[in-house]
Amino acid sequence: MEIPYVVNPRKDTGLFNSKIAIWLFLASEVMLFGGLFSGYVFLRIGADYPWPERTLPVLPGLINTFILIASSVTVVFAWASLKMRNWRNFQIFMGATVLCALVFMGFKAVEYGVKFKHQAVRMVDFTMVEGHASYLKEKKDGTDHGDADHGEGDYVLDLDGDKIAINQHVFAVESASFNLNRYYKPWLEELLAHAEHDGATITLAEKMDFNAPGEEKPELVFAKGEVLSLDLLEAIADAYKDNAVRNATARKKYLRAAWEIKWADVEENDLLGEAAFAAAYPKGFELEADERKLAYTRWKAGMRAKMAQDVSIDSVKLGNGDSVEVLIDGVTYASRELPAPNSASFQSDKPIVVRHKGRNVITDYKPDNTSIALRDGTALTGTYKPSPVDFHEVDGIDFQHLAMDAEKKNLDPEIAIENSWLVKENPVVADLWTLHRQAVGQLEEILAKKNRVPTEKDRYRMGWQEIAYYMDAIEAHREQGGEGLPTIELADNANAPPKVKMGLKEHFMGPNYEARSFPHIAIPRAEILLESKFTPKWNSYYAIYFTITGLHGLHVVGGAIVLGYYLFFGRRMYLTNPEWLANRVEVGGLFWHFVDLVWIFAFPIFYLM
Amino acid sequence: MADSPEEIKKSIRLYLIIGGALFVGTVLTVMVATIPWMDIGGHGFDVWDMILGLLIATTKATLVALIFMHLNHEKVWVYWLFGMGLFFGAAMVALIFLAKGDPIHYDGFSTGGQPSAVISE
Repeated sequence: MEIPYVVNPRKDTGLFNSKIAIWLFLASEVMLFGGLFSGYVFLRIGADYPWPERTLPVLPGLINTFILIASSVTVVFAWASLKMRNWRNFQIFMGATVLCALVFMGFKAVEYGVKFKHQAVRMVDFTMVEGHASYLKEKKDGTDHGDADHGEGDYVLDLDGDKIAINQHVFAVESASFNLNRYYKPWLEELLAHAEHDGATITLAEKMDFNAPGEEKPELVFAKGEVLSLDLLEAIADAYKDNAVRNATARKKYLRAAWEIKWADVEENDLLGEAAFAAAYPKGFELEADERKLAYTRWKAGMRAKMAQDVSIDSVKLGNGDSVEVLIDGVTYASRELPAPNSASFQSDKPIVVRHKGRNVITDYKPDNTSIALRDGTALTGTYKPSPVDFHEVDGIDFQHLAMDAEKKNLDPEIAIENSWLVKENPVVADLWTLHRQAVGQLEEILAKKNRVPTEKDRYRMGWQEIAYYMDAIEAHREQGGEGLPTIELADNANAPPKVKMGLKEHFMGPNYEARSFPHIAIPRAEILLESKFTPKWNSYYAIYFTITGLHGLHVVGGAIVLGYYLFFGRRMYLTNPEWLANRVEVGGLFWHFVDLVWIFAFPIFYLM
Repeated sequence: MADSPEEIKKSIRLYLIIGGALFVGTVLTVMVATIPWMDIGGHGFDVWDMILGLLIATTKATLVALIFMHLNHEKVWVYWLFGMGLFFGAAMVALIFLAKGDPIHYDGFSTGGQPSAVISE
């Protein structure tokens, strides 16, 4: 079939068809990204926390902008080459365009990767701590590590030999109660594996007997002290479920039997007869015949419903001393209910340390909690192990939110910071803060000459470059045998608190933790409000950042695939109908320019504002 | 109309110039945001930096749209299509300002209004 208007323009529009199509698509894209950018504005003006300004490293974003602009130029050149019927040049320029797309995505991957590995914590007092938190360490003898011996000992490995991620509840289990309806097998397996590892035995706390009265099946009896295993819990759960099903069946049969007793009484004494109706509603007989009939039918239905409510399992047991027996699966049950506790309790002979991700635990974290509930209905009793978020390198301390909170409460932010957990408990942070205040004080004087004031970020945030600078200053001061703290001297034209110079690699990968020194801080779980990597979860800034740049990245990939298709599979069309290929490339190019256009806005908005 | 090979040849220079202008614009954006004496308004980021940054970005975007996307000589259909997209896109952004006096209030997520002690991963 021949497709019309791939080369020649339509008379009514003056355009070839795919051009109309791409502009329609781009119009919808404008609205899509317009909506997302308006979402950005909305999040920013509505943010209840200090918006992270100029927080991303500029260099990777700048390079990516250059790359996209360059690719916009090359894609135009590729199209122009086709128009001039120069296949070789087309290949070169289109190849360059696709290469640019790949490099762009490469930088993007590095940027994203660094954020996914960078840990942040919002403390109860709204101090933000950022850094390189990797894994819990403990001393070789297995006891908890303290601050002093930080760095000694081995990494704590989980049972698969992987390093244990942070963000976990570490709980020493003494007893566990499993919900027989919905216990989650993998968690049970994990508990058993930890028990084996710790040399603990978990046994059934109470005897469980699922036999119906009169029934004596040994496989339905679980003795106290039986050792927990997958099979055991499964057998208990099966017995429980069987009984639950039989209970439901029996309940139905009992109710039916009870109803029959009741009904026999009704029939014998004609309780729903016309005479009974007449006794209950004498006036009913003054009505016309068909009205009376209707009233009688209604009354009968109402009475029946009322009687049905009176029938219960208890009434069978109590009713007239009649005993009702029910036959299910060849067994006669006289009792109305079979035993069916829906949980099984186990206890361990010694504490078993298990780790659960925060989302698995539905009880709020409190360090002195003696029981926690998991999402699968399991209740664990025992004690929390101290499981601080352990920052091996703190590369960001941010009091902006704390200061904002203090101002809201009409408190002096400086005093609030002095009283924050971090400054009070950690002498290194206290030193850093003292130096930072010194620096900000000088900065204030310098800027005052130009009628300017430091920003909140200058005042209350110590980024990694500031921290590294202060740490170096302290170290140098101590090496020279100096007492106390060094004095920070800002240059006369200083515009910000002092920073170390960033190395080229550090522009992309963040601080070089080996070469620079950063404080180590372990933050107790009770002081933590929220912990997160720099992912959408951390705050709405990162949420919208990942949404817009992620969607933009998908556009880059999609565009590169289409343009790459023209490059690698366009030769045949070029030989048969070069104008058609040129039109295709023009349309692909239009999309590509749009991708560039979005980035032209995304770059300053996310990196520079 | 730059659609005949001869005219395209002539436009090559223009494309290079625009490409260069975009590079310069990008450098300028970064400079006004990072170099102290180019920081307009107060010290650090403020509304003037935002206006300037968006102004430069809009200029760059206009250049891309006019020259690279050939909007400087397009058929009226394209103007209508893209114009409508821009209009509704802009309208969506503008709608926000109706909500200016009604900032979002967020107090906890799925914890019944109480921020839970630890919300992790």
